[in-house]
Amino acid sequence: MSKEVMKDLKKKLGKKIIDMVQPRSNRIYIRVEPEKAPGVVEYLFSKYKCKLCTATGIDMREGIEMIYHLAREDKNILINVKTLIPYSKLEMDSIGKKIPAFRWIEREINEMLGVEFKGHPDMRRLLLADSFPKGKYPLRKDFKHSDVTDEDYDYERSGI
Amino acid sequence: MDILKKSFKKSIWVFHLSTAACNNCDIEVLELLTPKYDVERFGIKLVGSPRHADALLVCGSVNAHAKPRLLEVYRQTSKPCLVVAFGSCGCSSGIFRDSYSIVGPLDKVLKEVDPDAKIVYIPGCPPKPEAMIEGIVMGLGAI
Amino acid sequence: MSWLVYYLVFPGFIFSSVVGLLTVWLDRKVSARVQWRYGPPWYQGFADIGKLLYKEVIIPREAFGSGFIAAPLFGLAAVTLGVTIICVSFFGLSKGFIGDIIVVWYLFAIPAIALIYVGSTSGNPLSSVGVSREIKLLLSYDLPMIIIIVIMASKAGTFSIQGIMNWQRTNGSNISNWYGIIGFLVAIFCIQAKLGRVPFDLPEAETELGSGILMELSGGVLAAYELSKAIMLFGLPMFLIILFWGKGIIGGILIYLLIVVLLILIKNTNPRVRIDHAMKYFWGWMSGAAILAGILAYFGV
Repeated sequence: MSKEVMKDLKKKLGKKIIDMVQPRSNRIYIRVEPEKAPGVVEYLFSKYKCKLCTATGIDMREGIEMIYHLAREDKNILINVKTLIPYSKLEMDSIGKKIPAFRWIEREINEMLGVEFKGHPDMRRLLLADSFPKGKYPLRKDFKHSDVTDEDYDYERSGI
Repeated sequence: MDILKKSFKKSIWVFHLSTAACNNCDIEVLELLTPKYDVERFGIKLVGSPRHADALLVCGSVNAHAKPRLLEVYRQTSKPCLVVAFGSCGCSSGIFRDSYSIVGPLDKVLKEVDPDAKIVYIPGCPPKPEAMIEGIVMGLGAI
Repeated sequence: MSWLVYYLVFPGFIFSSVVGLLTVWLDRKVSARVQWRYGPPWYQGFADIGKLLYKEVIIPREAFGSGFIAAPLFGLAAVTLGVTIICVSFFGLSKGFIGDIIVVWYLFAIPAIALIYVGSTSGNPLSSVGVSREIKLLLSYDLPMIIIIVIMASKAGTFSIQGIMNWQRTNGSNISNWYGIIGFLVAIFCIQAKLGRVPFDLPEAETELGSGILMELSGGVLAAYELSKAIMLFGLPMFLIILFWGKGIIGGILIYLLIVVLLILIKNTNPRVRIDHAMKYFWGWMSGAAILAGILAYFGV
């Protein structure tokens, strides 16, 4: 089943894929460039009829690796689209502009890791308090608890 | 006034406030009202508004979202009142001590508003009901 | 001068507040026993009032300060006057006056109006929801009860408490006829709604509205409200004894306990109802039953 999917994707997406790996019978990892990633994910979501499970971000030393997890139940397959965004240019085109399913996860990745999504219609804080200082990203590896002291919290912003 | 102070100890009305808790302590509070550990025989009853309350039962470690609201509720409670820091999270933030969203254990937050706040600490995660009753009785003895 | 003693000491403020607070304790103890718990000790009602007098009174910024404090005290004074008028005729201390049963029923409505005033000036949106429910409830349970009072009074030929009691001594109690039994059942539910107990405690719905209409009261003001509720818990069963039994003191105590036990049982076996259910219930079924009682009374059954 997955061999057909791999052949299908190679035919349609061809030049955009850097490499494609199949570690188990029902998983496919696809690695793309950060500029091409929104196009690949939109194709998989709309034309190839996959569903979004979630999107994750990890702080590697060279940059932030984002993975989009998409699933296709009738073919029993899980497709992971990986991109590595370098620290020198931490931005990506927003998929949430067209597809509402991606909006909240992009807000969360923006506030926790600092990745900027260009063109997102509603970039507010999702999980962090409004009084948390701007510019500090808690899920990065070099963030320590002592980086944020009590004076940095700005309770005026929370509206109480 | 002496008899009024004595009657204060015989009927304590409790308001339950949950700040960023895992809900384990909230469930244990409800257990105190069940027939096995019936706490109404001490005159304790749960009320719905902080103005009617004599004791604030604060569960959970204090979050940046919850801190301004906790201070506002404390200001609206009519004094004299007792504050109960419930569970390990209330005493010392528990296992969430180094988290990025926890603003501090309960006494550090309350001292900003009222340095003379009377706080009772009941440790445990969650505390056993016998420990809760002993803590409340000890707090009443110190008023 | 003697009326001042009647109003303040016996059977007025001190006597009725002591008996009322003991009845409140009885209610909590029996409810606890029904749930297999121990209940509070006998002095719990007094300890509650004493504790409330010890705390500070907080007046919200938007409230009209003197009205906020005066309204519950006014309600307390009105309820005490109502209970005094009932008990003076009941214990045979003095003669009443014509029409005093209607005066008593509407004196008992004043605490609800005071509560509506307090709830609407406190500036809390949850209080205003409670106020609208209280107004609707007040209009609902008045209708069947007025029909019942008019039936009993027209049977006795007079509107005075002494007259109704004397008529029942010579012609047999109202409860021994069919119209009396139906009237008693209607009246018990109207009393339950007037006291603000489950299943009709919508205005101060705890856990739904966060204490609703009472949300901004604290300290001595809340003590006045609780005391007026306790005095009503003493006064309203006496009202029912006068309407339906007309007995003296000896039989009166047992019947009083019976009515209180019925109120406790209704409280413990029912959930809270919605306001549109309550209005349909009082204006539909209860008024219909009251009119049926009137027809039976006309034919003397």
